[in-house]
Amino acid sequence: MPVFNFYHWSKEHGYTLTESGPLVSVEISIPTALKAHLSEKGLSIPAPQSGFALIDTGAFATAVDQTIFDALGVPPIDKIPTKTPHGDGESPVYPATVTFPGLDVREMAMERVIGCNLKWQNVEGKEIIMLLGRDLLQYFLLVYNGKSADIFLAY
Amino acid sequence: MPLEVELGVFTRMKPELLASYEGKFVLIHGEEFVGAFDTAENAYAAGVGRFGQEPFLVKKVTVQEEVYRNQALSLGLIHARI
Repeated sequence: MPVFNFYHWSKEHGYTLTESGPLVSVEISIPTALKAHLSEKGLSIPAPQSGFALIDTGAFATAVDQTIFDALGVPPIDKIPTKTPHGDGESPVYPATVTFPGLDVREMAMERVIGCNLKWQNVEGKEIIMLLGRDLLQYFLLVYNGKSADIFLAY
Repeated sequence: MPLEVELGVFTRMKPELLASYEGKFVLIHGEEFVGAFDTAENAYAAGVGRFGQEPFLVKKVTVQEEVYRNQALSLGLIHARI
């Protein structure tokens, strides 16, 4: 089982785990079936979109910023109802392929990812594009070590 | 609005879909019900194979539709500073 430690520390900003939450680098790309279709047609394949995923044990479903799907040219495949303190709404659902370069987890197929407005930058300028929910976390061992500002992940 | 037609078809067909395909993923394009599949991945692959990048619906047939709740996101607490 490959294990990885991610220290949330930088010379300029010190410890950032409390400020930013647990982050891992992530790449979002188009689904494999769409990639095969574009290749067959001789069309160009959009480059993967890179950023950081915030590990969110409070969320069941993984969510990705809407602009990522717009950039990849992936249309939604469904809409699901959403419940918020501000009222009921709807969010689009997309298929995606997810890679975690730092974990050596490559091209993980995700059939249903929520698209929403969540992009932001932490104090170090790292751009968060994904909330990594329990639908993905079920495959990981996660240790949050607040004392030493690092997280331990095994896949 | 993308998928509006397809979602309307799904709603109209839901009683018969529940009777025949509960737990499966259906593929709907425009007014056409294309078929039911064991996984969302298979339904999506079939949709891309037939319709390319045109919008189509892939939806699980369940009595109770899933609802997305994310407290941190909905409360705007992801990057709140106190």
